[in-house]
Amino acid sequence: MLLSVRDLRMHYKTKMGYVKAVDGINFDLDSGESLGIVGESGCGKTSISMTILRLLPDNAEFKSGSVFFDMGNGPVDLVKLDESQMREYRWRGISMIFQAAMNSLNPVYRVGDQIIEAIQNHFPQVPVDKAREKVAELFELVGLDPSRMDQYPHQYSGGMKQRAVIAMALACDPRVIIADEPTTALDVIVQDRILKEIRKIQKKLNMAMIYISHDIAVIAEVSDKIAVMYAGKFAELADSVTIFKKPMHPYTYGLMHAFPSTVGEKTDLVTIPGEPPNLLNPPKGCRFAPRCPKADELCMNEEPRYIEVEKGHFVACHHPVKSGEVVQFYEQ
Amino acid sequence: MLRFLSKRVVQIVILLFIYVTIVFWLMEALPGSFLDKYLMNPKITPEIRENLKRQFGFDKPVLTRYLYYMKNFLVLDLGVSFSYFPKKVTSIIFERLPRTVFLFVTSTLVSYAFGYTLGKRSAWRRGKVIDQVTTFTGIVFWTIFLPLLAIFNIWLFGVILGILPLNQFIDPNLWRNVSFSAQDLFLKLLLNAFIFLIVFLTIMIISRRLKTINAKRILLYVSLIGTIIISISIWILSGRAIYAWDIIKHMVLPVFTLTLYSFAGSMLVMRDTMLDVIREDYITTAKAKGLPDKVVRDKHAARNALLPLMTNFVISLGFTISGGIITETMFSWPGLGRAYLEALSQQDTPLLIGLLVFTGVFVLIAHLVADILYAFLDPRIRY
Repeated sequence: MLLSVRDLRMHYKTKMGYVKAVDGINFDLDSGESLGIVGESGCGKTSISMTILRLLPDNAEFKSGSVFFDMGNGPVDLVKLDESQMREYRWRGISMIFQAAMNSLNPVYRVGDQIIEAIQNHFPQVPVDKAREKVAELFELVGLDPSRMDQYPHQYSGGMKQRAVIAMALACDPRVIIADEPTTALDVIVQDRILKEIRKIQKKLNMAMIYISHDIAVIAEVSDKIAVMYAGKFAELADSVTIFKKPMHPYTYGLMHAFPSTVGEKTDLVTIPGEPPNLLNPPKGCRFAPRCPKADELCMNEEPRYIEVEKGHFVACHHPVKSGEVVQFYEQ
Repeated sequence: MLRFLSKRVVQIVILLFIYVTIVFWLMEALPGSFLDKYLMNPKITPEIRENLKRQFGFDKPVLTRYLYYMKNFLVLDLGVSFSYFPKKVTSIIFERLPRTVFLFVTSTLVSYAFGYTLGKRSAWRRGKVIDQVTTFTGIVFWTIFLPLLAIFNIWLFGVILGILPLNQFIDPNLWRNVSFSAQDLFLKLLLNAFIFLIVFLTIMIISRRLKTINAKRILLYVSLIGTIIISISIWILSGRAIYAWDIIKHMVLPVFTLTLYSFAGSMLVMRDTMLDVIREDYITTAKAKGLPDKVVRDKHAARNALLPLMTNFVISLGFTISGGIITETMFSWPGLGRAYLEALSQQDTPLLIGLLVFTGVFVLIAHLVADILYAFLDPRIRY
């Protein structure tokens, strides 16, 4: 297994108490595979990636868990590494396409130089001209004109910056790429083109990818497996077909039916009443229980375990939705 | 760029004329004049009084004198000083300029270098001990009364510890039988510093073309250390090293005092902009790229936070020409700041106007340089 995350917990310390942003996350990822993480804003999606790469702000507190990562010489627990060892794994092992790619490029350096910097940081013996060749290749790969590598970020359009950021993420041939809402700021046409390109490159280079978005349509397009995240935890994880056809967690069910579909028979659109819980003080039992029509006494008091119900299909629910069952959400 | 420059130069010329006019009329509006102490003297006969008036030009109406001044200003003639009669104002300024420039450019450089380093470090470790200590110390010295700090430093280092000279810019005993003037030495020291700057800039340009990071670093260190060693050995071989050392020794205390007093200004500017920059996404990207902390801080964060500090720095360099009245008086440093005070207390109007105009020219030039530097530091700015 390339990357396995076990019981990852990271909380933010605030004046009001701990915000439990990442609270017991488990998943596995293999080379060539892509995992999509979908969830509402503020449910902790980005915090997962920041915890894996250990790029946390000062008020973040790592609680427990391990991140086993295999660079070809056996799995290493990234959590236990010291800062300088961790730096070796960043970008070369796991690189990242950031949310708001618009601002991910330093405005005072040439785009090409910023990519060369990443290459030379991990491979100091590579001379500049070799690195420039590599950058030119990467630019071709993401559909940018290599002659533009000597321009500054402000001379790029939004879509071009996005592509440049993707090229930068590929610079050190990473094993895993974490793409955190890379296309949110773009219009749908550019978005679609870039998503297809990311997918193509990922398959071509046989990299693993974690794709984070609040947009389930985007996730469906690029992921083999989809994890549905709710209030700092995974509610359900399955391959992308299963999660659309046979959602087992009522939350996933609600999400899947919250989108109009252009194919198949007409169905009512579902809205999930209520709001996601405050992560400062989440519900005692199942975190979705206050909004769940199927919730009972058990759900309110006891947290459901995250178990594998079928091969590759994980769900954390006391009363999973059976196939064919219709769940009615009511306004409270 | 050229269009912008020519536009700015025209602006500067217009501004300069307005400035000179205002300065001239302000000085004219001061009550009394240099001649009063002679004119009120009952022992001087009316003929001599009239002669004095004519000699100093006070027999003509103000407007005529203003027009004369402007005419002379156009050919860079700032007139004749009253108190140093018949010395020209320009020659007084150029005599004192090297001392002032050498002292104040050094202290501005040291203070900004200090402020830059501390500012970026305290922002990087916001809320930690280093941040709190530097900010607190900086503000304490920033708010202190400068003459008090100067006296304290003179007392501590000159009297109690006895390691530094109390005042003046040279030790008279050492210079008694010397064939060359201190002025000459000051000019040579300035030239040396200028050569150092040129070498540094050339190295910066050359190192851009080098392939690996190590080669750049080696070139930088070797050439800078080489220049220092070569210039020190030239000083020693010429036999003037002790005299140069004497001047430098006299500079330590004023530079130290000024730095203590003013580093907080640049430090707080740096800290503030740095705190904004640190929150930017490209800083997270730089960290995610696996760059060492120091590289992220210096190359990515500090480089972007440099702009406001650079503006302040260049403009303060413009103001170094005016010297410091308080500092030069406290340390008996015969520079332009002292000249200001003397001219003011003697009502030596031509000298005073001349000094103000001279400072004004340099501050205006400094603004222009700051504008040009902007375009170099931030690729988004193009004129």
